Amino acid sequence: MNIRFESAGASFGARVAVEPLTLSLTENRLGVIGLNGSGKTTFARMVNGLMKPTTGKVIVNGRDTRDEKTALAEVGFIFQSPQNQIILPIVRDDIAFGLNGRGLTKAEIEKKVELVLARFNAEELAPRRAHELSGGELQIAALCSVLATGPDILILDEPTNQLDLRNRALVQKTIDGLEENVVVITHDLELISGFERVLLFHEGKLAADAPAAEAIAHYRELAA
Amino acid sequence: MQSLYLEGNSALHRLSPRAKIFSLFLLGLVLFISNNIPLLAVVMLLTVLAYRSVGMPKKESAARLKPILLTIAFVALVTFIVNPWHQALATLLRLTALMLFAAAVTATTTIAQFMDEITTLVRPLERIGWVKATDVGLAVGLVLRFVPEIIARYHAISEAHAARGLKVRPTTILTPLIILTLRDADNVAAAIDARGIRRHVS
Repeated sequence: MNIRFESAGASFGARVAVEPLTLSLTENRLGVIGLNGSGKTTFARMVNGLMKPTTGKVIVNGRDTRDEKTALAEVGFIFQSPQNQIILPIVRDDIAFGLNGRGLTKAEIEKKVELVLARFNAEELAPRRAHELSGGELQIAALCSVLATGPDILILDEPTNQLDLRNRALVQKTIDGLEENVVVITHDLELISGFERVLLFHEGKLAADAPAAEAIAHYRELAA
Repeated sequence: MQSLYLEGNSALHRLSPRAKIFSLFLLGLVLFISNNIPLLAVVMLLTVLAYRSVGMPKKESAARLKPILLTIAFVALVTFIVNPWHQALATLLRLTALMLFAAAVTATTTIAQFMDEITTLVRPLERIGWVKATDVGLAVGLVLRFVPEIIARYHAISEAHAARGLKVRPTTILTPLIILTLRDADNVAAAIDARGIRRHVS
């Protein structure tokens, strides 16, 4: 991945959510940590273009997010609550839904749905209803719905939030096995402990940009 | 997220979504053109049979229909007060029949099927530049998606009232219900945007 923040910052009215920062992110795995309200999610939304920078610019794989009408196609986003991400109640329909309008035939869409579910050995989720899935299964369904469209970068916003140990392990294993570039925003420090680069946000500022162990140690000091 | 769709293999499940939507449209026309009480009564009985045929458990049927049945009863009562009795009865039969058939169609058609059909039906209007067919399909799909969500949210807020020993009042329920529903709508809109669902709309 190639993400560049060029003096890019974001404000909501008078409140500064992310102070202008200049960064180049090329690692395959990137962690983003910080206390609640520190600017992590706003930072992530700036990467996929859901939030346009109010100062500076963000360039993702050579494209300026300010020039895009909608979020960038190459950046998939898994939200904090996957149930909000899933638009249609049946998993198969929901994954197919994101593929409509892309010039694919019904057969091609069905094939893509099968393939993405097979990638996670989750074929049995296809006919199931989203509200009947466990937290981990719901995350996998949300992941499939996003990955079916073939993004280069995947952003996961607190993917292990409210999961029990079994589902958490399932999500961790899934993230570890992803071929795509991954940005994980999390309070679950174990999840990003092996990442080569972790950004620590504090009160809208970048407080640390370091390998996981160093950034986590700094975070513990801030949180104490 | 819950769904109004009920898994099954009834005749209505097997009928094409297009036929069901057209039948609903035609039924609506017939019901509102006619004031013939025996005819309306027969149609209503047929819609009762249609609704029963989808195989929904009685308890769930009652839970789904109760709010709208109460509304229809209220409308019929007001009509009875201000109009002759036969007009009130016609209103009651007409609205009940329409509600039952619409509920049967909704229970036997998935949201994806609804969206596909609505998009196809609206496509001619897109050609003359009036609407974007996929947007209309999406809008209808989202309405169907949100109905059970709002009902579930209402029950959750009612339970929260009960847990705190508070009496459930419309004034104290509506505000959180509206705020939470709008927040959900915002989240879903962001998800639609993030998934690029409208990006490829031509």
